[in-house]
Amino acid sequence: MKKGFIIFTVLFFLFLIPVRSYSSEPMKQLRVTVDKVLEILKRPDLKSPDKEELKRKLLREVISERFDFQEMAKRALARHWRKRTTQEKKEFVELFRTLLERTYLRRIEQYSDERIIYKDERIEPPYALVKTVVVTGQSVEIPIDYRLIQRSNDWKVYDVIIEGVSLVNNYRKQFVQIIRSSSYESLVERLRKKIK
Amino acid sequence: MVKHQKLGLFLFCFIFIFLVLFKCTVFAEDTVSHEEDYLDEETMVTVADPLEPWNRLVFQFNDRLYFWLIKPVAKGYSMVVPEDFRHAISNFFHNITVPVRVVNCLLQGKIKSAGVEAVSFVLNTTGGVFGLYDFAGKDLKLRVMDDEDLGQTIGSYGIGNGIYVVWPVLGPSTLRDTLGILGDAFLDPVNYLELDSTIMVRSIEFTNKTSLHLGEYEDMKASALDPYIAIQDAYIQYRNKKIRK
Repeated sequence: MKKGFIIFTVLFFLFLIPVRSYSSEPMKQLRVTVDKVLEILKRPDLKSPDKEELKRKLLREVISERFDFQEMAKRALARHWRKRTTQEKKEFVELFRTLLERTYLRRIEQYSDERIIYKDERIEPPYALVKTVVVTGQSVEIPIDYRLIQRSNDWKVYDVIIEGVSLVNNYRKQFVQIIRSSSYESLVERLRKKIK
Repeated sequence: MVKHQKLGLFLFCFIFIFLVLFKCTVFAEDTVSHEEDYLDEETMVTVADPLEPWNRLVFQFNDRLYFWLIKPVAKGYSMVVPEDFRHAISNFFHNITVPVRVVNCLLQGKIKSAGVEAVSFVLNTTGGVFGLYDFAGKDLKLRVMDDEDLGQTIGSYGIGNGIYVVWPVLGPSTLRDTLGILGDAFLDPVNYLELDSTIMVRSIEFTNKTSLHLGEYEDMKASALDPYIAIQDAYIQYRNKKIRK
C-alpha cells in the first residue's frame, strides 16, 4: 500500500516535468547555420575565383551539419525506399546529395546582400516547420520554409519549401515517375549521368 | 468589343461550362495536400495529365524557342536597357493590371486586400509617376503579398485544376488557370488596344519580364532529372499554395 503511494507520487511528479523544453530550438539552430553560410559568402578573402573550391568546401561542411540528406533521399523515394538494400540506400543518398550540392550551392553563391526574416515556427515533435522570408535588393520577398526533424538534441532539415514548392515533393514526383516508367536502376543511371 | 475579345469570351464560356460539368466526375482526383502534410510521407500533389505526349512536345518546342529566340532577345535587351529601368517597366505593367487583382480580391471576399490594391494604384499612378515606381510598396510598405487572379478565384470556389496543359510560349497551365487567364484578359487594359498594338505591347512586356528572370529556367533544368515533371509539379504546388492563401 505504501509502495503504491510512493510509485504514484513519483509518477505524479514526473508528469509535472515540462516536456516542451526544446521549444524554439529548431529556429535557433537553423539560424546559426544560415548565419554561418552568409558569413562564408560575405568573407572578402574567399571572393577571388581561385578560392572557389575552398569556399564550396566550407559551405558543404556547414550545410551537412544541419541537413539530413538520408531523410531527404528516403522521403524522395517514398515507398521505393523500403525495397532497397542497405548498400543501395547508401549509394542513393550519396548520389542525391551530390546532385543537390551541385545545383544548389551554385545558386546560394549568387545570394549575398539579401536579408532573411524569421517569421514563424511550428513544432510537433519530432517535426518542426520554420518559416522565413528572403528579401532581395529589389525588395522582392521570397518565402522559404524549412522542415526539420529532431535527432537527439539536433534539429535537421529534411525539406526546403520555396514559394510553396517543396523540394522533396518535387524530386519525389520525378523519381516515382521514372521508376514507374522504367526501373530503379535506370533512375540511378540518370542520377549518375546528371552529376557527371 | 474588339474582334479578338469575342473569341476570348467564347473560349471562356466554353471552358467554364466544360469545367463545371465535369468537375465532380473526371477531375475529382485533384488532391490538395493537407495542412499537416509534413507529418505524412506519402502525400503527393497531383494533376491529371492525359495530354502528356502532346504537352511534352509543346514543352520541347518552348525549350527550343527559349534558347534560340526568347533568351537571346531578352539578353540583348538587358544589355541596352539598364536594370532599374526594366524594373520600372515591370512596375508599370503591374500597376495597370490592378483591375484584375481588385476584382479577384473582391470575388474571394478579401475586402482589405482589394482596398490595399486600389490605394496602391492611386499612390503609384500619382506619386510613383504612372506606376513606374512602386511608391506604395517600397516606401509605405503597402503591398498585397499575393497577386490574385481568376484561376485562384475559381480554385477557391472548389473547382479543381481540370487537366494540365502546356501552352506554346506561355508555358505551364491547367484548364482552370487557362479559363482564369481568358477571364482576366477582359480586365487588362492592354487588350483594349487594336490587335497589332496589343501584340507589340505584349512583346515588350514579355521580353522585359524574361530579361529580369534570365537563368532561372536554366537553373531549374540543371537540378531536375525530368524537367517536364519538375516544372509540372512546381507549377501545381505553387498554384495550390496561392489558392490556399
